[in-house]
Amino acid sequence: MTTTLTIPRLEMAMTEGTLAEWLVEDGAEVKEGDPIYVLETEKAAQEIEAPASGKLARKAEAGAVYPVGSEIGEIG
Amino acid sequence: MEKLLETNLGIEPSVLKEIYRQLARIRAVDKAIQAGLSSGKFMFTYWPMTGQEGIPAVISQLTTARDYMVTTYRGIHDQVAKGVPLEGLFAEALGRTGGLNKGKGGSPHISDPSSGSMLTTAIVGAGAPIANGLALAAKSRGEDRVTIVNFGDGATSIGAIHEAMNLAGVWKLPIIFLCQNNQIGEHTLIPDYTASKDFASRAEAYGFKGVKLDGNDPVAFYKGMKTVIEAIRKGEGPIFVEALTYRLGPHAGVGDTHEISGDELQARKDGAPAVRARALLLDARVCTEEELVAMESAAQTEVDEAIKKALASPVTPVSETLIDVYADPDVVPRRGHYPVRAAEVEPTGERKTMPMYQAVCSAQEIALEKDKGVFLLGEDIGDPPGGVFMTTNGLQTKFGKDRVRPTPIAEQSIIGAGLGAALVGMRPVAELMFSDFTAVCLDQIVNHAAKQRYMSGAATHVPMTVRVMVGGGLGGFGAQHSQSLESWMLHIPGLKVAYPSNAFDAKGLLLSCIFDEDPCIHMESMMLLMTTKADVPLEDYRIPLGVAKVKREGTDISLISYGFEVNHCLAAAEELQKEGVNAEVIDLRSLLPLDYHRILDSVKKTRRALVVHSATEFGGFGGEIASTINEELFSKLKAPACRLGADFAPIAYSREIEMNQVPTAKSIVARVREVMAL
Repeated sequence: MTTTLTIPRLEMAMTEGTLAEWLVEDGAEVKEGDPIYVLETEKAAQEIEAPASGKLARKAEAGAVYPVGSEIGEIG
Repeated sequence: MEKLLETNLGIEPSVLKEIYRQLARIRAVDKAIQAGLSSGKFMFTYWPMTGQEGIPAVISQLTTARDYMVTTYRGIHDQVAKGVPLEGLFAEALGRTGGLNKGKGGSPHISDPSSGSMLTTAIVGAGAPIANGLALAAKSRGEDRVTIVNFGDGATSIGAIHEAMNLAGVWKLPIIFLCQNNQIGEHTLIPDYTASKDFASRAEAYGFKGVKLDGNDPVAFYKGMKTVIEAIRKGEGPIFVEALTYRLGPHAGVGDTHEISGDELQARKDGAPAVRARALLLDARVCTEEELVAMESAAQTEVDEAIKKALASPVTPVSETLIDVYADPDVVPRRGHYPVRAAEVEPTGERKTMPMYQAVCSAQEIALEKDKGVFLLGEDIGDPPGGVFMTTNGLQTKFGKDRVRPTPIAEQSIIGAGLGAALVGMRPVAELMFSDFTAVCLDQIVNHAAKQRYMSGAATHVPMTVRVMVGGGLGGFGAQHSQSLESWMLHIPGLKVAYPSNAFDAKGLLLSCIFDEDPCIHMESMMLLMTTKADVPLEDYRIPLGVAKVKREGTDISLISYGFEVNHCLAAAEELQKEGVNAEVIDLRSLLPLDYHRILDSVKKTRRALVVHSATEFGGFGGEIASTINEELFSKLKAPACRLGADFAPIAYSREIEMNQVPTAKSIVARVREVMAL
């Protein structure tokens, strides 16, 4: 089963976030709970954990701003 | 061995273990929600309770599903420990049909009567007045249930909490005001929003006990709460508990709180209840590491399975939109849907000529006799004076102080107490005196009574009647005691509104309201209460809500009205007859449900319509009715349907102004002449 990674809504007023940095290589195996990327909002930078275990495929470049809900990768 | 441990710990080891089991469940739920939100798997607003888990985990060992709980949007920990099924909880947060409340309330509005989680509010402090009603119902029924209302420290500033505490003190209600003092009111820290040293000491001012407990120390909190709950069950009256804790998360969202950071935040995390309880269970050798891990993974499995099932449940569909607004979906006003409701059967029994205030009193007397769940509450309704307008005269003498309850002058506490009692099947009739006073309790009426059926997906509902008196046109009450505010109520899905024009209808409509399953507002024109009389049957009879009555048949124009303006319309019709204009007069009697069927039938015949009301014309209910007539009967009309309401000004004290700013027979005649000339 594939789990889609989307930019989460971390705060009520959040509409977009910056994918500051990927913490794992494209194609790497990750375990549920591993930090996988850093998301920056107006308030803070936060390490986002893998929602599932499996092979991570990046689908978005780091350093860019994405609206909440945008697909940025998947774990399969 | 066990006895020795108990002495050392100050708590039965098995109880501490159960507390930890609940802590593990709450932690697993919190982590799963945050992980789901962080990864984008879930998309909903979350108000984390991270760090506050110890309070409900302990309470779960001292209460059962029979005990009532009210909590807030930051209350998932309370729900989990109360025994709310996790699958239904997650499905609700995700807006699914399998949700506890059909996905219509969401996580901030959980109602699960099967576990005793009666109502969850997203309005700060508003749960307390309602919880009083639950406690009142338990007390009235002689039950030993405890009601616990949870709220944060931020809620201690709001009036609803103070009104509720005052009423609970007066009525010695079996309720715990449980302030989960996490030190932060949303984003504002304590010294910035209150000068109070603590909150527990406020209880003394209201005549009952307040205690301050460490909500993060499971053992100390258990001991403290045991004493508190035992006292409540013995009927010793309310207790305020200030449970000290920390909120480790932000006001809303995921992750750490933004208000505290660094070493201070780390220290708070290290002292969190789950961390403490775990260490204690190991140190005291109540559990081995393996046993704790087993409990934690059992909790994780329960949560994983619940989420899996919740995600498999379909998203609540559009077809549910109008279901659960009222018990009967036909009540919902919809364009093109004008159900025909049967008119009342004319009562045949003995009648007596009486003013409307006596008819209102008679309706309440019959309801009190008929149903033990009926009770009255409101300012000054006891004997004497039997209500400021005598509408409850003699009822307290006959039915006693428990069923006819005078209240403090605190309208939020009145509506809340009625609402809470209605949630568990009582039929309260709350008197608010002047309709203008709804302004100070609109939150309870609008956000809570009106929406509860819908928000709970019909898990609960509110069979409550609110009686208000309407002043305008009588003279001398001024701008704050004279408004006709039906439009406020009619704009809120979930409320029903009746507005009688005479004593006969008032009795029959009020009885229908009291025995209705939805919250009803019964509007009583003061002009009618004291100055008009009618032959009123002594028996129980009902005028169905949503049935208008033709008071005078005519052929040239339909005058559509309600309340005392109906009488002005009848007088105007007599005047108009002299000019050869034959007006039909329709008394709507109830405004929601609204009898569009009879309105449209009348206008089809007369081909002209004028809606008359004492509320301001601009933004008034007349606009709604006139629009529908124009849309439905455009091609048949000789003139557009028109309105006549009060001038757009507060009701003036000057008699000269007041008698002219609200429609009179004279101004109605003048407006009809204009319509006839179109």
